Amino acid sequence: MADNVNVVSICGSLRKGSFNAALQRALPGFAPAGMSITAAPPWASFPVYNADDQNTTGFPAAVETLGAAIRAADGVIIVTPEYNYSIPGGLKNAIDWLSRLKDQPFANKPIAIQSATGGPMGGGRMQYHLRAAMVFLDAHVFNKPEIFVGMAQTKFDDKLELKDEATINFVKQQLAGFEKYVRKLTGK
Amino acid sequence: MADAALNVIVLCGSLRKGSFNAALARQLPKLAPMNLRLAPAPPIDTIPLYNQDIQDAGNPPPVVDLTNAIRAADGMIIVSPEYNWSIPAPLKNAIDWVSKVKDQPFMGKPTALMSCAGGLLGGSRMQYHLRQSLTSVEATLLVRPEVFVTFAAKKFDDKLQLTDQATIDMVKAQLVAFEKFIRKAKG
Repeated sequence: MADNVNVVSICGSLRKGSFNAALQRALPGFAPAGMSITAAPPWASFPVYNADDQNTTGFPAAVETLGAAIRAADGVIIVTPEYNYSIPGGLKNAIDWLSRLKDQPFANKPIAIQSATGGPMGGGRMQYHLRAAMVFLDAHVFNKPEIFVGMAQTKFDDKLELKDEATINFVKQQLAGFEKYVRKLTGK
Repeated sequence: MADAALNVIVLCGSLRKGSFNAALARQLPKLAPMNLRLAPAPPIDTIPLYNQDIQDAGNPPPVVDLTNAIRAADGMIIVSPEYNWSIPAPLKNAIDWVSKVKDQPFMGKPTALMSCAGGLLGGSRMQYHLRQSLTSVEATLLVRPEVFVTFAAKKFDDKLQLTDQATIDMVKAQLVAFEKFIRKAKG
């Protein structure tokens, strides 16, 4: 009997009413039977990256905590909005800090990416920038299906529950594919 | 009839003291043509990580300062390293905040890009990502000359003065072109 695949999810938005946070919350319900998805520790308290801080006061505890959680996980799902056609600064700040850790946690880590936006493209511009950053970090980004949840306000209800069937099916398909991918890469 | 002086702010994407990009940014006034007045942008290091809930309650003072400075300037030069093949978070975070201020000031703003990096690509991956972001806010981007300071450690001395002549010439050429570009954009 195969072990469970344990995945952590990271959200790229901080606001309460975030569609991406709502999607992140919904993921455990869409995961295949052999995969559990839990929210990673937060990055909201990370200071803005400054190498002088790293070299004097060291890594903030929250950075070490998130790094450890990523290392311990079999895979990571990043669920994020697109800000100005690219990666939101807060999420990029988390990545920039984590990337400096000894035993850099994204190395050889299976990663899946999802994004929800108010406009029609669903984060299509941002995801290719995020893929590039992950390539540099030697992560293994899951290819297809891609998850772009465009016109998000029409797909979630006013309780921020994902209601759009097509989106749900795509997400389930990605998560099922991601489980196989994680097992293939980790040998689990 | 002499041209009026143009005011340009210089925004640096690195926060560390020993930054090559910060060193280049500091030296730009010395390399600039006579009628291009360069000044550093207000600091970005105290800007909190973007959260729309915070912005809805009011823009933090450093965001207001940066917004006003960009708005008042005739042009903007961004000098930035590349972090993880893309835009450094402090810079992107600052752009994210300012982009959501009412009547965001990047719109139509003549903008030039420079980067210093340790290796062969000189920050170019970051610059093409940054162009994409600045397109989103409809900045008016100078295309050429591009400035990529490759193998930066060899081009600055141990007092962080830029000493490589080819690089100095490349930077001067961009600044000359940028002045013309701003004047043309202003009409």
